[in-house]
Amino acid sequence: MDQPLIQFIVIPLVKIVVILAVLLLIVAYLTFAERKILAYMQVRLGPNRVGPKGWLQPIADAFKLLVKEDLVPAKAEKFVFMLAPGLIIIPALLVWSVIPFAPDTTLFGLLKQPIPPYLTDINIGLLFLLGVSGVGVYGVILGGWSSNNKFSLMGGLRSAAQMVSYEVPMGFAVVSVILMAGSLSLVRIVQAQQEAHLWFFVPGILALAIYFCCGVAETNRNPFDLPEAESELVAGFHTEYSGMKFALFFLAEYANMLVIGSVVALLFFGGWLRPFPSWGWLGFLDIIPPFFWFAGKVAVVIFIYMWFRGTFPRYRFDQLMHIGWKWLLPLSLANVVIVALGVLLLKG
Amino acid sequence: MALGEFFSKLIPTDLFAGLALTGGYFFKKKETIQFPEERVEPADRFRGMFGYDVDRCIDCHLCAMACPIDIIHIRDHTEVDEDPETGKKKKRKVIDRYDVDIKRCMFCSLCEEACPTDPKSVWLTTKTFEMATYERNEALYFTKERLMSWEGVLAYPGAVPPKDGGLPEDPMARKGKGSAAEGGVA
Amino acid sequence: MAGPLEPLFDVEEMELSFGPQHPATHGVLRVQLRLDGEKIMDAKPIIGYLHRGTEKLFERESFNQCIPHTDRLDYIAAPTNNEGFVLAAEKLLGITVPPRASYIRMILAELGRISSHVLWLATHAIDLGAITPFFYTFRERERILDLFEEYCGARLTLNAMRVGGLPYDLPDGWVERCSELIDSLPKYFDEYETLLTENRIWKKRTIGIGVISAEEAIDYGLTGPPLRGSGVRWDIRKVFPYDRYDEVEFEIPIGENGDTYDRYLVRMEEMRQSVRIIRQCLDRLPDGPVMAKVPKVLRAQEGIVYASVEAPKGELGYMFVTTAKSTQPYRCHIRPPSFINLQALPAMVEGHLVADLVAVIGTLDIVLGEIDR
Repeated sequence: MDQPLIQFIVIPLVKIVVILAVLLLIVAYLTFAERKILAYMQVRLGPNRVGPKGWLQPIADAFKLLVKEDLVPAKAEKFVFMLAPGLIIIPALLVWSVIPFAPDTTLFGLLKQPIPPYLTDINIGLLFLLGVSGVGVYGVILGGWSSNNKFSLMGGLRSAAQMVSYEVPMGFAVVSVILMAGSLSLVRIVQAQQEAHLWFFVPGILALAIYFCCGVAETNRNPFDLPEAESELVAGFHTEYSGMKFALFFLAEYANMLVIGSVVALLFFGGWLRPFPSWGWLGFLDIIPPFFWFAGKVAVVIFIYMWFRGTFPRYRFDQLMHIGWKWLLPLSLANVVIVALGVLLLKG
Repeated sequence: MALGEFFSKLIPTDLFAGLALTGGYFFKKKETIQFPEERVEPADRFRGMFGYDVDRCIDCHLCAMACPIDIIHIRDHTEVDEDPETGKKKKRKVIDRYDVDIKRCMFCSLCEEACPTDPKSVWLTTKTFEMATYERNEALYFTKERLMSWEGVLAYPGAVPPKDGGLPEDPMARKGKGSAAEGGVA
Repeated sequence: MAGPLEPLFDVEEMELSFGPQHPATHGVLRVQLRLDGEKIMDAKPIIGYLHRGTEKLFERESFNQCIPHTDRLDYIAAPTNNEGFVLAAEKLLGITVPPRASYIRMILAELGRISSHVLWLATHAIDLGAITPFFYTFRERERILDLFEEYCGARLTLNAMRVGGLPYDLPDGWVERCSELIDSLPKYFDEYETLLTENRIWKKRTIGIGVISAEEAIDYGLTGPPLRGSGVRWDIRKVFPYDRYDEVEFEIPIGENGDTYDRYLVRMEEMRQSVRIIRQCLDRLPDGPVMAKVPKVLRAQEGIVYASVEAPKGELGYMFVTTAKSTQPYRCHIRPPSFINLQALPAMVEGHLVADLVAVIGTLDIVLGEIDR
């Protein structure tokens, strides 16, 4: 085989398959983790019957969803109804093409040349990420509308308003990091943190808080889980979905959670870098591969998500908008100004 | 807005208190009882499945009268015993059927309270509560034989139809209890 | 009450049937909503999905046989249902209850009040999105139900009282276990309050929601926490003391604004006051019989009686019309607090959002078993 074929077709294909397989497995186990964490905070044990200590529970759940009857409501808009789960899952998976979860590696010396384990590093990675994940809202709103269910419709509308309005402060929070790193490439942002000997959450603490809040709202998690507010809208936009279509919505939600967790880790906590990357005497920490540093940081973020869910009540729709537009947006704008001034003064 | 209020809104100490509580519970002992393996012993007065003893029963029908929803059906006849030595005749009541329609029972234990014998001939304090069945009409209709075999049995042995094979007869067709019962209110 | 709000500009309104199969309607309540976007223009509660003809049933049962049926009215707090019924029957038959029985009734009723209020908090919080209090409160509720089980053998449908007293005396060690439990309860109440009382999200969701003024509350005939939350100091235990409530000390907490948050605070404080009442009852529990001398067959005189108790949800009253020497009431009427409190729902949710409807249904603390009877 000639070199370009391997380089441009075979290696990316292998990477895609591996990334998707691992991602879906992680997502399945995230549901398990969520149920366990919530249970432990609620003085109970959680799933522990399927397999040893319940570890096969996600597999059983997935199997159940696969074999369940796939219902389509009689008066639903059938084509859109089918389309919506696809519209939401594709962006959620597509985003993973630009997320660098580890630096270039030789796979423990197996390869002669170090290759990047992530799929690609494009120079507008962050913009691509924001744009693609913004498409997911179409799946939500179309799913809610096509179900021909009033509760679903309201869930879809809420979700659309919420996702659109929270993307604005989210974008501004990201801008401050871009200013600090001077690049839109996610790999470059991590490298900038290494060069600056500083994780960006220290100067960007406000940006972190804003991004985190918006991330919670973007992924429809408690306390901003209005689109699927169980007690009001039954299950929101996916009330009428069953079987595999429901599973796709579910997968997308958790995949998006992972994305937010990854972006927080990449932008603010140095991605795959170990703590204090410039301190030589901490070199023994390098024994842990960079991927695990990254995964650990993402895990902490996701644990906090679940912790939130276990603790807080839910905001009302108008209050959520109020927070988005009247608190987070001005704060994020102020943050951009402050960071820009800082960058200007310090870097000269 | 005062500056202090602004910052107190910005730093959510109230939310952190809640997070600390739930986070603390993460490491505490769990309350779950793993049911089939671990069991909670019901209290001594627990009202469980019926127990019945035909030898103690004096056939006074008080339990059937005390029942708010008339689910105890008693059928009896009188036998005359003749003493072979003296030739004296003695009437004796024999209980043919003592049926309880458990599927309608609300476990109020008024029948047990009404029973005049000591110890009680009908009682609910049996600690047996696993009564799930696949077929309610036959499996939860108890004749006296099945009632008497119940005490000490923990799991339901399987759906067994009443001894005579047929469905239980309509309790309202039996005999009216006061004027209201004639209206067929059940 | 003002007429239904008219939309400001030409919009298409949406009719939404909220329930009867809905996770937040606490049973089978159905609310017919007229919505402008998410704003409620008009709400109409529709009831009757759980009608079992309890009042009619009473006409064919003797007095003691009615008591298991009363358990099924407000199935969350059975002791107060029993208590109201036996008080009415005792008033009718002219029976004086021995003091020990009265005190035990009070203990059971207050335990029932706590168990009802913690369940209210659990469902109210889960309606507003906080799922964790649900599990914490059920832990305490289970312990209270354990006490009920030790006393009378049942956990939910107690059938714990009889006309003239109580069917059983307390079992050995019950008093100690009860006092151990109530000593531990305030600590758990504090935990719920840590999660909710100062929480900004909880405050946002409850303050100013479902406001009802004291005058309106009285006009609607509200009782219980919905009335006290509006600042009216009205509690049957104080104004018409029954059992031995005149011998124990307790406060009646009241709110100021009559909103959901005030009603929440009122109920939280009521639980603490209940603990206080139980503590006093346990301390001065007299010896003696638990059953008055009553004939085997209870025969009423001709007459009409009404007796009411302060149930966890409000004033629960029983009225009997009897003919001479009858063993069962000629007509029985139950005044269920939830039914009358539910009347205020349309006025309380008008102009609010759908999410607030859930909060208001939660704060009214309705039980459909009692509403539909």
